[in-house]
Amino acid sequence: MPQTTIYASPRSVGAPEQLPPGVATQELARLFGGNPALAGVTLTIPAGRCVQLTGPNGAGKTTLLRILATAIRPSFGSAAVDGLDVAAQPELVRSRVAYLSHATGLYDDLTARENLGFAATMLGLERTTSTEAVQEVLEEVGLADVASLRVSGFSAGMRRRLALGRVLLARPSLVLLDEPFAALDGSGIQLMERLLDRWHRSGVTALVASHASEHIAAHADATVQLDGGIVTRVTGEGVTARPQQRERAAPPAIEVTT
Amino acid sequence: MTSLRRTATVAWAIARKDAIAELRGKQAAVSTLTFAAVVLLLFGFALGPDPRRLADAAPGLLWLGLVFAGLLAVGRFHELETEDGALEQLTLYPVDRRSIYAGKAAIGVIAMLALGVLLVPLVAILYAVDVVRALPVLALTVVLGSIGFAAVGTFYAGVTVRLRAREVMLPLLVLPIVAPLLLAAVKATTAALAGDPLRELPAWLELLAGFDVVMLVAGAGTYGFLLEE
Repeated sequence: MPQTTIYASPRSVGAPEQLPPGVATQELARLFGGNPALAGVTLTIPAGRCVQLTGPNGAGKTTLLRILATAIRPSFGSAAVDGLDVAAQPELVRSRVAYLSHATGLYDDLTARENLGFAATMLGLERTTSTEAVQEVLEEVGLADVASLRVSGFSAGMRRRLALGRVLLARPSLVLLDEPFAALDGSGIQLMERLLDRWHRSGVTALVASHASEHIAAHADATVQLDGGIVTRVTGEGVTARPQQRERAAPPAIEVTT
Repeated sequence: MTSLRRTATVAWAIARKDAIAELRGKQAAVSTLTFAAVVLLLFGFALGPDPRRLADAAPGLLWLGLVFAGLLAVGRFHELETEDGALEQLTLYPVDRRSIYAGKAAIGVIAMLALGVLLVPLVAILYAVDVVRALPVLALTVVLGSIGFAAVGTFYAGVTVRLRAREVMLPLLVLPIVAPLLLAAVKATTAALAGDPLRELPAWLELLAGFDVVMLVAGAGTYGFLLEE
């Protein structure tokens, strides 16, 4: 089986303009204990684009990704993936989205192959195809040699690769990656860049929260900067943020005198 | 794939995954079996050598051991999901949440039945009761009781899984709800071991079956909301 089978997107690359946006949010807000992590983000990302999300810690990047992944619900506003509302049609959205978060979501007492086998079943792959797909993914992420070992003995980088393998199994139309280069070594970073390139070429929308601009720059069509739960800057083409907030002024320096 | 087949496939995958993890980790197995054996042993000594007294206490103590050990088991199967964001990942798969409940309840039932297989002979030996004669009815009682307990235990394990004090909260929430089930299970076990002289066994078994149906339907219908953050 050619490798492209796994990564093939359900989307056609030819005519992205006719499709609903890969991601569309309207005044999206999320409060945690009364504190806004997102404070009204209106953002449209055309299907098939790779977008880097930047911003300081607490800017709202992870919250935005988690809402789009349906891990949490918006407090206000709306968000849609491929035209499907994340709050009203979460199951349909889940079948199109793959999310790589800070946590790997792996089971320590299962082997690498068992972890991916479980994911394949949960993702709805038929048993006849899932064994082959799991093996292919294990080879792609460089873990085929340790596939029969329990994950409890894996390093952080190996766990990250395995979690990435789960993303590959999902065949998503939107990938949400939260600091995907964290814990990866040189070959892991190359793997991640290769996958970003493959997703880009096959029309998969990618939203990547990362500070590692040197690794993403070659793949990202646009950069969205968040700060304090709002969009402060958009660079690149295709992505729109409305209304785009002005960049906040830096807090005044405090002069300390003795 | 039909919806029912998909639900069964997902439920089986979850139950199988939990079974493999538990058989390798053995965290719940060791604690539940030790706990149940110690309870039965201590009560055996406390009640003394009177065979009549021991036989009268046997049904209640069997279910005491089963329920407390079962609490540890259903709690453990949810605790597995707290490893490195596994619970969140589980909720992000495109599956019906009822199938997650079905999988967790199924592994709970399997654990309870495994405990039953070990505890019934232990009770027979320690409390001098003849379980062989009543084995079919006794087995049916344990099966029905296990299903009902796992239905309730799984639901409340879902309620408490994100709490720091989940080990404390789980028994506090589950035990009042399973009181009717325990009453019916103990009465049915007593009647089964005594040969059902008052012909009350069918009524207790019906109560157990009714409890199971109500709790399974309620649990499956509401469990998905517990997974929302």
